[in-house]
Amino acid sequence: MDKQFNPFSLEGKTVLVTGASSGIGRQCAIDCSKMGAKVVAIGRNKERLNEVVMEMEGRGVSYSFDLGNTEGIKELLTTIVEENGKLDGFIHAAGIELTNPVKLTKSDDYKALFQVNCLSAFEIIKNLGVKTFNKGGSMVLISSISGVIARMGLSAYAASKGALMSAARVMALELSLREIRVNTVSPGTIHTPMMQKVLDEMGEEERKKRVEGFPLGLGRTTDISNACIYLLSDASRWVTGQNLIVDGGYTIK
Amino acid sequence: MEIKEFIEKFAESIEVSDVEALTPETNFHDLEEWGSMAVLMLIAFYDETFSKELTEEDIRRAKTIQDLYNLAIS
Repeated sequence: MDKQFNPFSLEGKTVLVTGASSGIGRQCAIDCSKMGAKVVAIGRNKERLNEVVMEMEGRGVSYSFDLGNTEGIKELLTTIVEENGKLDGFIHAAGIELTNPVKLTKSDDYKALFQVNCLSAFEIIKNLGVKTFNKGGSMVLISSISGVIARMGLSAYAASKGALMSAARVMALELSLREIRVNTVSPGTIHTPMMQKVLDEMGEEERKKRVEGFPLGLGRTTDISNACIYLLSDASRWVTGQNLIVDGGYTIK
Repeated sequence: MEIKEFIEKFAESIEVSDVEALTPETNFHDLEEWGSMAVLMLIAFYDETFSKELTEEDIRRAKTIQDLYNLAIS
């Protein structure tokens, strides 16, 4: 057996990860570094970002930035590329959640979720041009199975995650001219600080029902980082505009 | 704006990766990156950079990058 054979290697690639200070983004940042990538981590919390960088293999760097603002994203990317070179990969894992019935969901709630969950990613992609993002690169946007199936109280969250999927298809088409791929990954319920909060707020019965909905049980953050590694690597060279559902079988029932 | 700078900005506007290969004589219609999306990006480039309304007819008539440059500075 050829010990060198590894189609999933990220060796020689520079990967930008948003939402890297916790949960799925944190795991993606750490695991991409373990696959050989140089990781540029973006998150709100400088302290936690530093901890993530410490856990990375090789040279990781971090920039604290609040993706609640679209302003400043272009300048941030210019700085990142000046200091770290052109990028080959992008994972958008920054995201916020809101559980509220439609009747109580305000227009501003939709706007706040859209800003972080998708508009910030769109702004980043808009500004990753030929001078900042290498030909043959790959982008992965973390969506959610809530963008595919209905769950009570998640209209704003679902809308923002669904928007990622439909935009990703168009972006995949346009960026194919530069041989850049764009895909989404839709996780089911993963053990993250954000989901833990949601589970804590549920009643005993509701929580039990949720957990039982997953034939393979609840997910781990590594289940998602592994999917992202595949989509960033050259192994998925011919995969673009797709939504990869990683949910332990939740949506097949 | 000199033509050299124009070529760089033109390349950036329609996302041409190999700027070095472009000359004033290059027929931009033959570029790999040229297409319906590039037309829109070029129109936006003229609007933002030169405050000029570039029409599809202008683009059709222009053959080379020099032609585009002439339209920009006219």
